[in-house]
Amino acid sequence: MSDPSHATFQVPPPEFFDRAKAGVTMLVLGGAGLLALLACVVGYFVNPAQLAFSWLFAFTFFFTICCGSLFWVLLHHATDAAWSVVVRRQVENIAGLFPWLALFFVPIALLAAPYLYSWMAIDPASDHLLHEKAFYLKPGLFYLRALGYFGFLILVSRAFRRHSVRQDATGDVKHTFAMRKWAFGGLPLFAVSLTFAAVDWLMALDYTWFSTMWGVYIFAGSALSSMAVLILLITWLRGRGYLANVVSQEHYLIMGKLLFAFCVFWAYIGFSQYMLIWYANIPEETSYFLRRNTESWNMLNIILVIGHFFIPFLFLLRRRVKQTAGVVCIVAIWILVMHLLDIYIIVMPVLHPGGFTPHPLDALALAAIGGLLGFFFLSSLGKNSLFAARDPRLIESLKCTN
Amino acid sequence: MSTPFTQPPVHGIVAEMPSAQVLFHAAEKLRDRGFKHWDVHTPFPIHGMDAAMGLKKSPVGYFVFFGGLTGSLVALTLAGYPSIIEYPLIVAGKPLNLFTIPAFFPIIFELTILLSAFTAVGSLLAFSGLPRWNHPVFNWDKFARVSDDGFFVLIEAKDAQFNEKGTAKLLAELGATDIALVHEDPI
Repeated sequence: MSDPSHATFQVPPPEFFDRAKAGVTMLVLGGAGLLALLACVVGYFVNPAQLAFSWLFAFTFFFTICCGSLFWVLLHHATDAAWSVVVRRQVENIAGLFPWLALFFVPIALLAAPYLYSWMAIDPASDHLLHEKAFYLKPGLFYLRALGYFGFLILVSRAFRRHSVRQDATGDVKHTFAMRKWAFGGLPLFAVSLTFAAVDWLMALDYTWFSTMWGVYIFAGSALSSMAVLILLITWLRGRGYLANVVSQEHYLIMGKLLFAFCVFWAYIGFSQYMLIWYANIPEETSYFLRRNTESWNMLNIILVIGHFFIPFLFLLRRRVKQTAGVVCIVAIWILVMHLLDIYIIVMPVLHPGGFTPHPLDALALAAIGGLLGFFFLSSLGKNSLFAARDPRLIESLKCTN
Repeated sequence: MSTPFTQPPVHGIVAEMPSAQVLFHAAEKLRDRGFKHWDVHTPFPIHGMDAAMGLKKSPVGYFVFFGGLTGSLVALTLAGYPSIIEYPLIVAGKPLNLFTIPAFFPIIFELTILLSAFTAVGSLLAFSGLPRWNHPVFNWDKFARVSDDGFFVLIEAKDAQFNEKGTAKLLAELGATDIALVHEDPI
């Protein structure tokens, strides 16, 4: 048993994903995505309101994962981290999906006015609450802001990926410095983008309600779910024979720790938001939880508290669990399912205040966006090395122990 | 009955190593030879030394878990029993059953942290054999350099493989620059 921090390391050669070998996976993802997309188009003519909400639910799920991935990229550079060099390329790749997400936002933009956001159809002069918020809740501004969020997210994710990929070719350290510099400006702007996107697209579903914790709450779910996706993605690649000598048990332990940390962070933020509203009991704040703590939504909310926090918390406490790829993957899948439930409880009660009403369009919208994003992800995965092959901190990352 | 001229029993052999690197490889060899009662002393933590010494995972974590669990349950009982069962508090239309638990979460959280921290500190001290007044290894003056630039390894006499000559020879082979026999404190 030799210790990695004292072993000698050879710089591993760059590894490239072979698209030809993943042909079946890509065909299944792309085919299922297209079929589901067609079904969603049919669904629009059957039940447009349901489609709008199902689509928003599915879109938000994938949007938060991509946002979280961009956060890990920015955080890596801002903290000048070493351990994450070997997994960073994959979060860069997931964050590279933002242009496609912008495309998937189009149905939301089109269906916003009649179905999703009631404030768009109400005259501010007739509603005092809306009148007070009218300087912010204007349809024109809503679309302009969406443009701004996507513009920023696409620009930043592409800039970081471009620098990182160029470094693969040249090995020039100036890219590392450039990315670090951009990360400091990028992080606060990222926080602003995600916060206001969460306010615009989710909080404004009920314009009478507000919560100052909302942006952080969505962020907590984003960082958590994207870490779960990263763990699953790395394990999938390793299962296909890639990254065998690059990602080790030590990296799994760190990813597992971050999964654990953000599991706790999500609960902390979620509870802080809930308790302050619950305790103060002010009608203009309680409407959100009143709706979600009545009828069958209440049961789902209790499942969320136990399943999103207590189960993964107790499960991930042990070091061995976080170190073992197979076990931590089970937790990652569980957390993604819980994140799905979290987003579902955020979006759906607005359409179905009477209780949990599952609809095939929920699954179809998920399959459409998920399948197509998976297809686009895999089709561009082979272009660059699967890890940052000439990052100056690569050896340090390979050696990391904790 | 001991006379003033007899030495107290031998505690073990301390050897000074010239560098962290030599110490690290010496630790690996001692581990592979199956020594059980020994330790290394360095001015700073050395990465990977746990594995080089073959140390097992510390049991402190399990104690902390049960300490924290005790804290949660104590807080739940202290806050919940009076205000749910003994004297139900009617405040702002809050439920009078277990669903009023959000109000207790801050105190549950605090007591969980508090008792976890106490058990962490307490069990860490207990497993390290602390506090104590003195350690026989300080009977060798040179050992004071452990907080400056000295790298030391100590093999205790209670180890099954210990014998004064053989162990000293082994340590010399492993690269020790200075070897001393340390005795227990005189009574």
